Amino acid sequence: MVELGLNVPSLISYLVNYVILLVLLAALAYRPLLNALDNRVESIRESLAAADRAREEAATSRSAIEEELNEARREGQRLLDQAREASERYREEEMARARQSAEEFTQRAQADIARERDAAINEVRAAFGDLAITAAERIIRRTVDRQTHQELIDQVLVEGEQALRRN
Amino acid sequence: MTTKRVLLLLGVISAVLLIVGFVVGAVGSRMFGIGDSFLSQPGIHLPPDPVFPASVREDAVGYRVAEKKTEDKAHGEKESHHGLGLMQFAVTNTMLSAWLTSVIMLVFFIGGAGRPKLVPTRLQALVEMLFELVLNFASSILGPEMGRRAFPVVATIFFFVLFNAWIAIFLIPIYQAVGFGANVGGEFKLATHLVRPAGTDLNMPLALALVSFLFVEYWGFRAHGFGYLKKFFAFGDILRGRPSGLINVFVGLLELVSELVRIVSFTFRLFGNMTAGEILVIMITFLVPFVATQFVFGLELLVGLIQSVIFAGLTLVFLSVAVSHEEH
Repeated sequence: MVELGLNVPSLISYLVNYVILLVLLAALAYRPLLNALDNRVESIRESLAAADRAREEAATSRSAIEEELNEARREGQRLLDQAREASERYREEEMARARQSAEEFTQRAQADIARERDAAINEVRAAFGDLAITAAERIIRRTVDRQTHQELIDQVLVEGEQALRRN
Repeated sequence: MTTKRVLLLLGVISAVLLIVGFVVGAVGSRMFGIGDSFLSQPGIHLPPDPVFPASVREDAVGYRVAEKKTEDKAHGEKESHHGLGLMQFAVTNTMLSAWLTSVIMLVFFIGGAGRPKLVPTRLQALVEMLFELVLNFASSILGPEMGRRAFPVVATIFFFVLFNAWIAIFLIPIYQAVGFGANVGGEFKLATHLVRPAGTDLNMPLALALVSFLFVEYWGFRAHGFGYLKKFFAFGDILRGRPSGLINVFVGLLELVSELVRIVSFTFRLFGNMTAGEILVIMITFLVPFVATQFVFGLELLVGLIQSVIFAGLTLVFLSVAVSHEEH
């Protein structure tokens, strides 16, 4: 074996060399890097879990938002229908009221006209009665010729006309 | 200049260098009779060379020079030992290579993993990839928890073997050119390399094999307590008066032998592969210099990777067997 180079101090030197190398590498290379790899694995695992959570939350909130939008849409439609119904109802009510008011106005106007006409007729009638009485009184009181007679009639007519105008 | 042209130019240069290398190398020079080859015949020495202290190195170099002269006179004479004694201390060139590898590993790994960031730098990403490869390998054999526990020891073995092999390949020009010279036959030549791949020193694989062995046995005892020894000393049935217990005793002893033989197999597998690789590179460079060695470099990169995977993988498998709760 010595011919092959076996040498105890060399062997011990290699053993010491190996142990020093092992200790230094374990302390300054293996442990820091393996810890860093573990941390990275943990960090990646956490990131993936967080990403999954975020994806789930996004999906949940998207469905919630869609639900809210649908609800708002339905609410809007309901309000629109209500408004349409209210306006229709209001329009019909107003139309009915206007129609009724117009009819009332017309009826009132017709009643007024009829009353006025009746009053006018009565007045004319009364005026002519008075005129006839007046003319008769004058005819009876005075003897008049034809010309005077005519003048009296004209005078009565004029007075009657004036009286009508006054009224 | 387009990439295609650059590649074409490199291909032409490589082909020319291959032909020139073949002609001026050991094979061509002998075949065409053009005198000495471009490189002198390398000497293959299995033991590492002492480089410090200088006195031990000079002794070794002097011994080698004398031996060279002897070899020149009588070819084929068996090489005699000229390295360190069993207990003699010296800093060897393989030791320097292991220290260089250790420093490079520390700089590389601490630089990449010392202060890890959530968004990694390129170096950190590379180191992370390497760590995860080894960690996944360990976890696939031992399970996640035990794989994590075994990771530091196994990863250090894996990277130490791999870096030793690969750095030796990438720095082989420096490894081969830098050293201490000596006067051999009136000519000044490189007699001792300053650095040599640590895998070619028997002590380095042996040290790693011992680490692996001790680590496995430690976890065996930790998992089973002293009951772990029943695996090797299965006298239970014999003591209960069952003759069939003899088989268990025999199997237990076989287990013990195989457990101890693992140290030897670990050591010589790595030592053999690394040494053979270095010899192959040196010999190819001697036979056909320049570019032919590139093919061997590619092969050696693969061999380095395979050896590191085997060393780490077998440690994990033995550990898995040691901590498993099956009845032995």
